[in-house]
Amino acid sequence: MRMATMLSDVIRSAWRKPVTRKYPYVVRPAPPRLRGKLIWNPEKCTGCALCSKDCPSDAIALVVNDKQTKTFVMRYNVDRCTFCAQCVVNCRFKCIELMNDQWELAALSREAFTIYYGRPEKVEEFLATAASSGQAVE
Amino acid sequence: MSTESLLKTAQQLLTAWTLETRAPEWNRIDIVLRPDDLPGAAAALAGARWGYLAAITGLDNGPESGVIEALYHFCSGAAIVTLRISLPRQQPRLPSVCQSIPSATLYERELMEMFGVDIVDTPNRQRLFLPDDWQEGVYPLRKDYRPQPLPVEERRVIRPIPENSQPDRFTVPIGPQHPALKEPGHFDFSVDGEVITGASVRLGYVHRGIEKACEERSWVQCQYLIERICGICSHSHAYAYCLGVERLAGVEAPPRAQAIRELVAGLERIHSHLLWVGVSAHEAGFDTLFMYSWRDRETVMDLLETFTGNRVNYSVNVLGGVKYDVTLDIADKIRRGINFLEERTHHYLDVVTKDAAFLQRTRGIGVITPAEVERLGLIGPTARASGVVRDIRVEAPYGSYRSFPVSSVRESAGDLEAKFIVRINELFVTYKAIQTIMDNLPEGELTARFPRKIPAGETISRVEAPRGELFYFIKSNGSDKPERVRVRTPSINNFTSVVSLVVGHQLADVPLILAGIDPCFSCNDR
Amino acid sequence: MSDLQTVVTFLFFPSGLFVMLYGMAYEWADRKVVARLQNRIGPRWFQPLADMVKLLSKEEIEPAGVNRLLFVGLPLVGLAGAMTASLYVPLAGLKPPASFTGDLIVVLYLLSLLTICIGLAGTITPNRFSMIGSTRVLTQVFSYEAPFLLALIGPAMAAGSWTIGNINFYASSHWLLLTQPLGFVVALIGLMGKLELPPFDAPEAETEIVAGSLTEYSGRGLALFKLGKAVELIVGLTLVAAFFLGGINNPLEFLLKTLGLLFVMAGISALMTRFRIDQVVRWWRYGALLVLGQMLVIIAWQIWKGL
Repeated sequence: MRMATMLSDVIRSAWRKPVTRKYPYVVRPAPPRLRGKLIWNPEKCTGCALCSKDCPSDAIALVVNDKQTKTFVMRYNVDRCTFCAQCVVNCRFKCIELMNDQWELAALSREAFTIYYGRPEKVEEFLATAASSGQAVE
Repeated sequence: MSTESLLKTAQQLLTAWTLETRAPEWNRIDIVLRPDDLPGAAAALAGARWGYLAAITGLDNGPESGVIEALYHFCSGAAIVTLRISLPRQQPRLPSVCQSIPSATLYERELMEMFGVDIVDTPNRQRLFLPDDWQEGVYPLRKDYRPQPLPVEERRVIRPIPENSQPDRFTVPIGPQHPALKEPGHFDFSVDGEVITGASVRLGYVHRGIEKACEERSWVQCQYLIERICGICSHSHAYAYCLGVERLAGVEAPPRAQAIRELVAGLERIHSHLLWVGVSAHEAGFDTLFMYSWRDRETVMDLLETFTGNRVNYSVNVLGGVKYDVTLDIADKIRRGINFLEERTHHYLDVVTKDAAFLQRTRGIGVITPAEVERLGLIGPTARASGVVRDIRVEAPYGSYRSFPVSSVRESAGDLEAKFIVRINELFVTYKAIQTIMDNLPEGELTARFPRKIPAGETISRVEAPRGELFYFIKSNGSDKPERVRVRTPSINNFTSVVSLVVGHQLADVPLILAGIDPCFSCNDR
Repeated sequence: MSDLQTVVTFLFFPSGLFVMLYGMAYEWADRKVVARLQNRIGPRWFQPLADMVKLLSKEEIEPAGVNRLLFVGLPLVGLAGAMTASLYVPLAGLKPPASFTGDLIVVLYLLSLLTICIGLAGTITPNRFSMIGSTRVLTQVFSYEAPFLLALIGPAMAAGSWTIGNINFYASSHWLLLTQPLGFVVALIGLMGKLELPPFDAPEAETEIVAGSLTEYSGRGLALFKLGKAVELIVGLTLVAAFFLGGINNPLEFLLKTLGLLFVMAGISALMTRFRIDQVVRWWRYGALLVLGQMLVIIAWQIWKGL
């Protein structure tokens, strides 16, 4: 039985810097596999919709799914996404990616959490025809 | 004894009451009984010390069939004997098995409140997971349940009276909000000065109805729901679920995927035990050990983040395999991280077994004898600290545990110090297992083809989570949604031990005794 | 002292505002040192002051059925006791502002007045945590007072006086740490028990009884109690440092000696687990025996010197 068994740790701390990272002034680079915000590339999409079928929280949906003209617009709800990457696994053409550098997703308004992906003109068209509001990105 | 001989023994014990026997899987037999024969059958198994009661599942076969089934699962090694009783839906009534198996009371309470089965002479009829003001006659897990919110004016809280308490003693409430509890739960202690004379527990504050939610989601979606039952054992839940569903579908994940699953399970166990060491030290007032062990825990969390992409809820599993592969770079990082942690763990073992001030809070406190382990039905490291080894990885190896076996750690003292030693030694075993896996990772695919619709059937999958045995009963009706997913988490068995253990101890020992069973309220309440 | 001097001493310096701010600074130093020993950053310099300002600006919730006079008065009496005690010790290295024969006993009484007020504050509400906390506070007071007092009487005996100023003067030429080491150890540990610093913080064990006696206090009452504890920290450190570490005669000695003692206490805090209340009482049998042994040695030496 000894007293002060943590003495070695405590003494060593006297000349070590604290391990606390002073976020947000010091930001550690994210590891490459970090599952951050979803990004979708409409060019390779075929409209199979397997991604939205298996989403556990109904976060993505192909709101415009026209296979003839290859027009696809996807609505992504950041606030519902659980970042599970099941959609990434399902997509056979690698259209979906979870970016590792976009993980600071706080926002001050609800609109920022609904994102529409697609070719810009198609998204505009969709938003014009739809009555609901949203925020077009890309 | 081999699984076949265990099953044969059980069958012979139960011939007097058996109506029908089925063998759905190589290690399982289902024995159909009449409701009134249940206590006799349970007493026969308990009297012959054949295994232990692992879980009680309720199955509602739908309003058209008019039948509710109650399944009593007894496990011994890899053998599982299920006693099936069919009950009429209008008036389901069962006798209790609590005379021969006292630990069954919690399962019976859950069966009563979720399915409306009237268990006649069960000792405790209070609600377990549902709130006290839940409407009578509304049973959530029945197929015809429709949510009906209770009007605000009818909501009330009923405080249950602590069992074994004298009426005019002090009652100290701990929870639902209390600095000692990391998750909400309610304990009432009757104290006489500092000494505790009676205790009671109320759980269910984090009940989210996950078992019911699983019935409305596809097999793939369910996995992510299951993973979020608990943050610290999330991979174990997903592992058990995937193993079960794969068995139903007749698909086996490739060897590399199985090894990666075991690797992540090992990393999760390291994370869980380091977290536990820190939290228990904090409950004892030893904040320095808390800070240092959590600092070192960041190493394993960074490893998991590098490997899987998230620090908690790793989502490594898919039905049929795993999502992420181990590259050379990641393997190197894991090895270095494990080496660092091993060195630090030696230091923590030293601290926990030698520090005089810490030992006077843990040595000889909260002693659980092996007989009590059997009586209360304790599992996991809590039981291993008293010398009773129940470890699914050893008794019924699953996945790649056949190729990369681990050994169980046991101590015999049964006090808090023994619990510390068991968990820290399990860390060493896990480090070695991870190094072995990294050195011998089989080549191959990461996933196997998986059907969308799972053939009808029932399966039981058991996995060793960091807290003990995790028991899953999964039933499929041939569609793309599960029919029933029954989750029995390890913490539920261990909670009753706190209530009976603290009597006679001081109030200051209570947070440590509670932390000693490694309670996971989220797991417990689902 | 002239009237103006009295007013300045009471309100600003060296008692009054100075001792309160200085107490908060030392509270910060203690938290910072413990944090650095645990390999983390710790609070910024204005944290205790910010806490105080925040608490004074928050609503004070009075529990139902409590005796209003006691609820409001106990923090005031406790703080007043601690502040009065600060008048008799060599704060900031100056001569004690007030002094009379026997003020050592009075200072110790005033310090325990604060602790007893905290203990009483726990009994006036029916909250379970408060009642158990106050039981523990009073138990700890009974365990610590006797050995601590005896340990401080050692220097008094060596100096041949009951007045703190005289003992301080005597200690300046004799380092009593070396001649009464057991007394120093007992006094140091006694001070930690008195201040309820870890590992003797069973009365306010957050993981067992939330906040102990002060659970029901918020806003102004809590601010005054915390201020009282901060002042008690300074007074206690000054006493022990003055008696055992060679007297305090100028501001630099005051700073260095009290700060050094604080670092030692912070180090002990970081290294040990919290004791249960019955273990606290048990370990103190040894403390009492040690200090009695020390006193016997002093008496024997004085008799031998007188012969």
